[in-house]
Amino acid sequence: MKYAYRKHVIKWFFLLPCLAYLIVMAIFPLTWSLRLSFTKWLATIMENPEWTGITNFRDILFKDPRFWSALWFTVRFVFLTVVIQLGIGLGLAHLLHNNFRGRNFFRVLFLIPMACPPIAVAFLWKMMLHPDIGIINTALQTIGLAKVKWTTSVVVAPFTIVMVDVWEWTPFMFLVLFAAFQALPVEIYDAAAVDGASNFQVFRKITFPLVAPIIVTIVLIRIIDAFKLFELIFGITSAGPANATEALSFYVYLTGIKWMNLGKGSAMSWIFLLIVLGISLILLSRLRKKI
Amino acid sequence: MDNQRNERKNLRRQRRIELGTQKRSPLGWTILWLIMVVFTIWTMFPIFWAVITSFKHTGDAFNPTFIPWVQFKPTLQGWHFVFITAGERTLRSLKNSILIASCSSALVLLLGAFAGYSLGRFVFRGWKNKDIAVWILSNRMFPPVAVVIPYFLFMRTLRLLDNPLAIIMAHTVLNLPLGVWLMMDFFRDLPRDLEDAAFIDGCSHLGAFFRIALPLAAPGLVAVYVLSFIFSWNEFIFVLVLGFHKATTIPILIAGALTSKGLEFWKVASISLIGIIPVVILTTFVSKFLVRGLTFGALKE
Repeated sequence: MKYAYRKHVIKWFFLLPCLAYLIVMAIFPLTWSLRLSFTKWLATIMENPEWTGITNFRDILFKDPRFWSALWFTVRFVFLTVVIQLGIGLGLAHLLHNNFRGRNFFRVLFLIPMACPPIAVAFLWKMMLHPDIGIINTALQTIGLAKVKWTTSVVVAPFTIVMVDVWEWTPFMFLVLFAAFQALPVEIYDAAAVDGASNFQVFRKITFPLVAPIIVTIVLIRIIDAFKLFELIFGITSAGPANATEALSFYVYLTGIKWMNLGKGSAMSWIFLLIVLGISLILLSRLRKKI
Repeated sequence: MDNQRNERKNLRRQRRIELGTQKRSPLGWTILWLIMVVFTIWTMFPIFWAVITSFKHTGDAFNPTFIPWVQFKPTLQGWHFVFITAGERTLRSLKNSILIASCSSALVLLLGAFAGYSLGRFVFRGWKNKDIAVWILSNRMFPPVAVVIPYFLFMRTLRLLDNPLAIIMAHTVLNLPLGVWLMMDFFRDLPRDLEDAAFIDGCSHLGAFFRIALPLAAPGLVAVYVLSFIFSWNEFIFVLVLGFHKATTIPILIAGALTSKGLEFWKVASISLIGIIPVVILTTFVSKFLVRGLTFGALKE
């Protein structure tokens, strides 16, 4: 009896510090920002926030084309980068499935891009992509091709951001998928071999359906992560040229922190949060089933 | 254990033979390796280029030359600038980075190990273990930029702006969900019997936790600490908003390296490498866990 009671106390004793910390440091700021989102507060000129109801939300959603263009850029970016990463990752993982010697070496090697500070990645690429003296354009010129305005052309710059993100995260897709392939049961493949299935049939009918749940999970994870895109924009293009690469998180940062428009910034944070939360809920409900 | 592994290995070899993949034609092998080599070069080139550039003279930095001593004369100009000329700022950032990353990771470890043990060992009713764990994880999914405004105000009220403590607190929130999930997994995989035996011998719950469960989970503790160290080291937005002058870290130093004035690539390269080299070294120690960490602890590699 005493033992059971102590058990009841002890489990909360262990859990509470963590819950308390998260409530104070995560839930409290969020509710604070929700309250602020219904106010007007230009912190550079106003002492205190001024209640304005839903004006901020109305302004952002109906009167702010820049918000919509930032959202549109972010959505296009997320879609493209995740599709390309999944394509290359899946292709490589399938190609090397069963045939991969020195995989521990490659595993460590491929971890490097994603372990680097994203801001360092941004600046390394910014150096290489410099329109006049960057190594990439110099190399292109050497082999007789035209220079590309990687960061200064409205058309090319969004794809440059996608390219760098693909560089950073494709190895991640590859490693997860490769591990998933290796964990598949051997017997099914034997059966397929006995039945004389072709390589492509094996992939389409066996491998792909078996790893599909993992693909869904990592695609969701990458989508949520890709929405957070900030450092690459900050480092490589600073949202330019002509706001062509302004991601939602960067616009939120400009509005709320740089321009100190705390009310509008909070409202935009919440819209952003709700978008990501929608995708997160799908992922969370999948993860909930797994534990 | 070893037997099982051998068996798996054999089965895999058999599968290769039966699928005919082992008897790939020489052309097939060549293409396979070509793809692998191209992908490796693509992945490694930016890092390699940064290393090369950091040893170049101002004039050489723009040339497509690759081999030191043969194609260009290496110099320590960049490194001299970073550690001597601008040494004070670099060392301050380095000190802050280490302080913030190690303190916030310690806090993550402490809170995460407690909560992970609680969720991995005990049964919660009503609000079930699953619900609590998922709620904790949901905190990791918020875009950081969406909470920086209240953080900024919060820290201003507490007069902690430009104080490493504010960043430590922020990074702890960021990494805590990961810590809880990884520790939960580790404790769940540990056998209960040892703790039960300890109870029978009259050990208290706290005693069992500290003397038995925690030492057994040591590999997990190391993984959580190193992972959250890496993520805190790399984090940029919170430091950008909460620290201006005194509490800057390496990522901020990198962001300030490319001034409008100069195309001093050697400087950018060497400062970036200061940020990259420590995490790459740490990564090799936790290579098995990094992917797990990046998937919020959801996928085991």
